Amino acid sequence: MILALVVITALGFDFTNGFHDTANAMATSIATGALRPKVAVLLSAVLNLVGAFLSIEVALTVTNAVVNIQDTNGAPKAELTADGGTALLIIVLAGVIGGILWNLFTWLLGLPSSSSHALFGGIIGATVAGLGWAGVKWTGDGSKLDGVLGKVILPALMSPVIAGVVAGVATWLIYRITLGVAARFTDNGFRWGQIGSASLVSLAHGTNDAQKTMGVITLALIAAGEWSDTDDIPFWVRVSCALAIALGTYLGGWRIIRTLGKGLVEIAPPQGFAAESAAATVILTSSHLGFALSTTQVATGSILGSGVGRPGAQVRWAVAGRMVAAWLITLPAAGLAGALMWFVADLIGGVAGAITIFVLMLAAAAFMYQLSRRTPVDHNNVNDEWQDTRAKEYA
Amino acid sequence: MNNLTLALESAWKVLLIGVLIGAGLPAVFALGIRSMAFGTGGDAAAHAAGTAGPRPHPIGRIGAIACFTVVLLGVALGITFIVATGFGKELSFEHVYPTLVSKD
Repeated sequence: MILALVVITALGFDFTNGFHDTANAMATSIATGALRPKVAVLLSAVLNLVGAFLSIEVALTVTNAVVNIQDTNGAPKAELTADGGTALLIIVLAGVIGGILWNLFTWLLGLPSSSSHALFGGIIGATVAGLGWAGVKWTGDGSKLDGVLGKVILPALMSPVIAGVVAGVATWLIYRITLGVAARFTDNGFRWGQIGSASLVSLAHGTNDAQKTMGVITLALIAAGEWSDTDDIPFWVRVSCALAIALGTYLGGWRIIRTLGKGLVEIAPPQGFAAESAAATVILTSSHLGFALSTTQVATGSILGSGVGRPGAQVRWAVAGRMVAAWLITLPAAGLAGALMWFVADLIGGVAGAITIFVLMLAAAAFMYQLSRRTPVDHNNVNDEWQDTRAKEYA
Repeated sequence: MNNLTLALESAWKVLLIGVLIGAGLPAVFALGIRSMAFGTGGDAAAHAAGTAGPRPHPIGRIGAIACFTVVLLGVALGITFIVATGFGKELSFEHVYPTLVSKD
């Protein structure tokens, strides 16, 4: 019963991950008109789906970087499965719910926060609540980048800056090189470049992010004794995770697309091309070097950089400031939500506790969806002129 | 403190490769577009305001195609990297040109 809830909730998280991150790849293409909004999200969804299947690596040790609930080979710690896995399942369930709640909340505000941080934050919070501070791996043993500090916080601080610099340089170069060439001519060319680079970002996203949910679900299956192979994941898990992230992507997080595409910088095709190329390169390079980073923060940094790099472009630093603020509190906020959920589940206990937090999550999700209907953003008005009011309505 | 040193070390590499490829390829692409405009001639090419544009230059098209080929190769490398990582392989630049090797 609890296992079923964990699986459903994890797929739910995968879904929010999809629509939260559509903007990373497609916001610039939508804003510059390179792709019509519906076509852009469809393309991104298909590439995410393909990306999720492209990887046969097992992301089972996904939580190992930040918490101590698994052994190094991915099997859950024995002391956590002594009671049939309930202790571990509750931690995972509460953690994932924490991640979903924060993702939905930032979506409501139209803020592109990191979905990976929300997931990690939720799981860290639930682990602290369930196992105490020692259950969390704050820093590694010094031999490699590890722990919350090395895998989450430091990359989070550095990646937007790196991506911003790369995109800034690229934008500046492009404008220098094409100086004097007719705008009609350049815009057409750069639209194609933009679509190509944005597609790379989508593909990389599908390969990286769907894996995390697959890892979480498989961990839960092992804890419950339904699966024992730590070198493989069940096929249905792969299919359902791929579908969930693609469906989420297709739904499109229009509020976030709008913020990234219109709110931060007024984007012209050359800038969009520079931003997505920079994002694709930084994401691929750093995953090659084992430098874990957030697609969201890289994409945002790139777009910001493309604004700085273009002579005379306007960058809305107030919007950027709000985003940075959201990034800073993502980890602790999702952590608090995860911890709170664990305490509620623990107070009630057992299956009833798990059902209670699941229902709480559904209620919160429905409430936030209702709030979002007051100022709907969809594919029709995603590109409207930016007026700096939306965030204030909720502030 | 170790984590910070390690992170800075990685960050430095990412930045370097990022600027080389992430800004280099778009620059080559831009060069291709400029070259294509030069090849097309007329109003597409850069010219002084108020004058008629230059005549088409076939060499511009050739240059443009060369530039776009470089960019496409870069993209192909990117896709290979994504796919290879997924199947437990790694791109190695040991021999300067990329080769696929098994991860550890």
